[in-house]
Amino acid sequence: MGTWVQKNRTTVVLAVVVVVAAYVFYYAKNDIAPSMFGAAWDYAIPLVLAALVGVIGERSGVVNIGIEGQMLLAAFAGFFSAAATGSMVVGILAGIGTGLLAGGFLAWTTVRWRMDQIIAGVVLNIIATGITSFYLKSGEILPGVIPNLRVPLLADIPLLGEVFFSGRSWIASVAIVAAIGVHLMLFHTRWGLRTRAVGEYPSAADTAGINVERLRMINVTVAGSLAGLAGVYLSMDASSSFERDMTAGRGFLALAIMIMGAWRPLRAMAMAVFFGFVNAVASQLQQTGGFSVPPQLTGTLPYVAVLVVLAVAAGRVRPPGAVGQPYVKKDQ
Amino acid sequence: MKSTRYLVAVPAALALALAGCGGSTGTSGSGSTASGSGASGAAGAPTDDSNCADAAVFCVGLVTDTGKVDDKSFNQSAHEGAMAAAKEEGGFYKYIETQDAKDYAANISQFTNKKYDVIVTVGFLMADATTQAAAENPDTKFIGVDQNYDASKVTAKNVTGLIFPEDQAGYGAGYLAGLMTKTNKLGQVLGLEIPPVQKYAKGFEAGAKAANPKVTVATVYHPAADNAFNDPVWGAGEAKKMLAQDADIIFGAGGNTGNGALQEIAKASGAGTDVFCIGVDTDQWDTVPAARPCLITSAEKLISQGVTDTVKTAKSGEFEGLQTLGQAGLAPYHDFESKIPADVKAKVADVVKQMEAGTLKTGVTL
Amino acid sequence: MSETSTAAQPSPPAEPTPREPRDRGGLLAYLIGHQSGVVIVVALVISLLVGAALIRYQGVNPAYAYETLLREALVTDGALTRTLQKTAPLVLTGLAVVLPLRVGLFNIGGQGQLVTGAVIGAWVAYVAGGLGFVGALLGMVVGVALGAVVGWVVGVLKAYRGVHEVISTIMLNYIIAGISFWLAVGPLAAAGNSGIAQTELIPEAARLDAVAGVPVAFVIAALLAVVCWWVLSRTTLGFRFNTVGANRGAARYAGIPLNRIVILAMAAGGGLAGLAGALEAEGTLHRFQPAIAGSLGFDGITIALLARANPLATLPAALLVGILRTGAAGLQFSTGIAPEIVDLLLAIILLMVSIPVLGTWLFRSRAAKVSVASTSWGS
Repeated sequence: MGTWVQKNRTTVVLAVVVVVAAYVFYYAKNDIAPSMFGAAWDYAIPLVLAALVGVIGERSGVVNIGIEGQMLLAAFAGFFSAAATGSMVVGILAGIGTGLLAGGFLAWTTVRWRMDQIIAGVVLNIIATGITSFYLKSGEILPGVIPNLRVPLLADIPLLGEVFFSGRSWIASVAIVAAIGVHLMLFHTRWGLRTRAVGEYPSAADTAGINVERLRMINVTVAGSLAGLAGVYLSMDASSSFERDMTAGRGFLALAIMIMGAWRPLRAMAMAVFFGFVNAVASQLQQTGGFSVPPQLTGTLPYVAVLVVLAVAAGRVRPPGAVGQPYVKKDQ
Repeated sequence: MKSTRYLVAVPAALALALAGCGGSTGTSGSGSTASGSGASGAAGAPTDDSNCADAAVFCVGLVTDTGKVDDKSFNQSAHEGAMAAAKEEGGFYKYIETQDAKDYAANISQFTNKKYDVIVTVGFLMADATTQAAAENPDTKFIGVDQNYDASKVTAKNVTGLIFPEDQAGYGAGYLAGLMTKTNKLGQVLGLEIPPVQKYAKGFEAGAKAANPKVTVATVYHPAADNAFNDPVWGAGEAKKMLAQDADIIFGAGGNTGNGALQEIAKASGAGTDVFCIGVDTDQWDTVPAARPCLITSAEKLISQGVTDTVKTAKSGEFEGLQTLGQAGLAPYHDFESKIPADVKAKVADVVKQMEAGTLKTGVTL
Repeated sequence: MSETSTAAQPSPPAEPTPREPRDRGGLLAYLIGHQSGVVIVVALVISLLVGAALIRYQGVNPAYAYETLLREALVTDGALTRTLQKTAPLVLTGLAVVLPLRVGLFNIGGQGQLVTGAVIGAWVAYVAGGLGFVGALLGMVVGVALGAVVGWVVGVLKAYRGVHEVISTIMLNYIIAGISFWLAVGPLAAAGNSGIAQTELIPEAARLDAVAGVPVAFVIAALLAVVCWWVLSRTTLGFRFNTVGANRGAARYAGIPLNRIVILAMAAGGGLAGLAGALEAEGTLHRFQPAIAGSLGFDGITIALLARANPLATLPAALLVGILRTGAAGLQFSTGIAPEIVDLLLAIILLMVSIPVLGTWLFRSRAAKVSVASTSWGS
């Protein structure tokens, strides 16, 4: 434990500072602070799920810029299945299933057919926009709501409990569990070791007896279910309607967050929350209107913050070594 | 590589399927498919636009802003209005959904080439293209929804900008909200900061303050330039944040973004008893049923009716150039009819009447 | 890292590859020699068949729909001019993705760079409108310059701070969207338009409309495509670009100034997208409105990928997209099919053109390797 702290001193110090600052703000400005933290997490939930999709893909050596399309398709399928069948459960399953299918498409084209990974992602995005826009029906409504989940005990912690463990649907809890779970699996299980090997140095992994193609196929496909859940969150939980291009660039933001998080699940989640918080600050500035900065400029604040933070603070982060390259066995 | 066989099979099967279909040409070629036509029901109405040049054949065309005719907002309202007018007059109706702001002129010319009698263009961004087309096609009447023309620049008599006093609708809604609020905190979740939205928002704030000087109004516009009217998730998030900051009545004005806010409030605890929402543009009781638990009214502008009436003036010859003023006001209270106190309703009705009579000014300028 | 840059191999149908295998005679050999062309033709045919099925499903005769699409894009009065006008910015935003891609950078920022060029170009052309064509030229120059500055920022952040270009370009897209909207309602807003986001109309003399039915913008774009091709394939600079893209380590070993090449490539890409913006403002709406950008910047990615990072191939690729987009409105007018159908068609075409399996199926073991844009993602 001691060595871990020593090794990650900057991270630990930073984390402590952030948490203390958050609590100070929470008690000092109790009229607005809780709602701002809440808004930050609301904003971050789909980004966390989507960033995890990116992390799993890239850790296995497959770039996924089709997350936007995966989410859009899942949001579409989830919403309209639920509206058509009158069952939220069917809708949620359809959304997740669609995410899996879209992941499968990506896996099949990039791994099995060795199609260019960026092209495959772009194709997925265009197809998603086209299909969802072309076949959209207006006037449908959801048969119900996704119930809120209150985690016993944890929900009573001031600030943390309010934001992360109560007042939100179970999808929010799944996002937390998924981030922790993917972290543990990536760095503390055999699957994780293999996945990272396949993403860093596939020929060595192959020599060690790992089926590179199969592992990549499985990872990219299964990660699609998280994109599916993110889509379900957008159309069935965070809002109750499906609109054209309603993902609004969140898939791409998730990629940026994945990179900011240095391809690590928990850091990506922290970055997503940071991003969400700056967003909440931007809207709060606009809303209180104490000073006259036009909303178009305050709206750019989160994006400026990301650039500044990265330019000033971030060192070079290194992506997985084999990301983007299809693996061709030597004997083929 | 088993999979490669499908690549052979798919196109082959498609080719066969197409060959089989080839015989039934023409049924669909004439332009009367699901989305394109309107007046098929009326007796003796034309079924296509081949004879629009004929004085007896009344043809109405509509070009949308870069949006769709099912956008639950102004494009849809204008579309329904134009379709209704064509039906009532026994005419023919067709529309084009613009994909790219640079296609406005080209899309209008699709209709002028066929000698349509009336062309409705939707949205203030089309003002340039509309006035130019009007100058080039003096025999066609143009109706520009939400387009405010400058009398010194627009001389053509065959074009009218149909505008609405959104500020009055906003003022009425704000007045109601000011009387109803218990926390003295109101919120507005808005789309892009463009003239019609600003007029609603400023009217709402002015009305609320007139009814209740203690009230504060939190206002947020969607920051992004594109997609600002199609981001219900953002709208819902902002509404949730305002509710958490004790706002108890929230005005959602910004297409699907605002609708996201309405639906979020409808899901909140206390919806319909402690917290309420107000819709915009149309009576959203009908267009956003999911918002009913909290929707006390909508700040309406009667685009459909305005378009229908104006199109009919083109047929009857009472068409007035330059500018036509449509109506704006408050939608019915529906299920909240019994829950809103009678004196509140009376005061709001009084204010609305004064605005209609012109004795009360909202004081909103852009 | 083996077959990184193969952009010299693929070619559009219009531009047959110069090298031909002489050892095998006959048609088959010819086809194998021109296999990327053959693959593209086959891919297009398959895509159009799939599209036909979709159209049929909408209850419209596919042959009639395609005929209408082509007629409305190429034959109708003024249609060809409109198609070329739509093609021009697509060529430029395509090139804006191609150049950085050759160095191994993925420029998702074409949208922001284009908007920068559009808002500044429109304003300069308006202010300098009295100078006539010189005013238009000034607008273009300033558009290029500021677009290049945006690209330069990305390049510098990448080269010296290690900020991944995908992050910085996405962030800059949002930032520029906000700033340009503010400029159009605030400091640069047209007088007396009560809140509408637009700049003043550019005076007649400083507009760039079509000359004899050919838009000036298209001529410029086509020339630049040729210039980019020439630079990339015939000059030392192009060699350096390709070397850096193919193998960074080798490039460094060879003494190529990596950082400078990275910055130059991004700035050049930004400049091209900025030019596209200025030309759009001067040639179409004659002013800046936020809607002028449409999705042109993102379409550039599609076009660069369709063209397999070959500058010359961006011309046919952009023309294809231009035809589809121009014809879409007429298609809806005549058949009632929603214009999104062309996006679906485009996705299928890109998919079919890019599936390596298609080449393998057609040519078995003689199939050539296709380009790999994704190798640029890492580092």
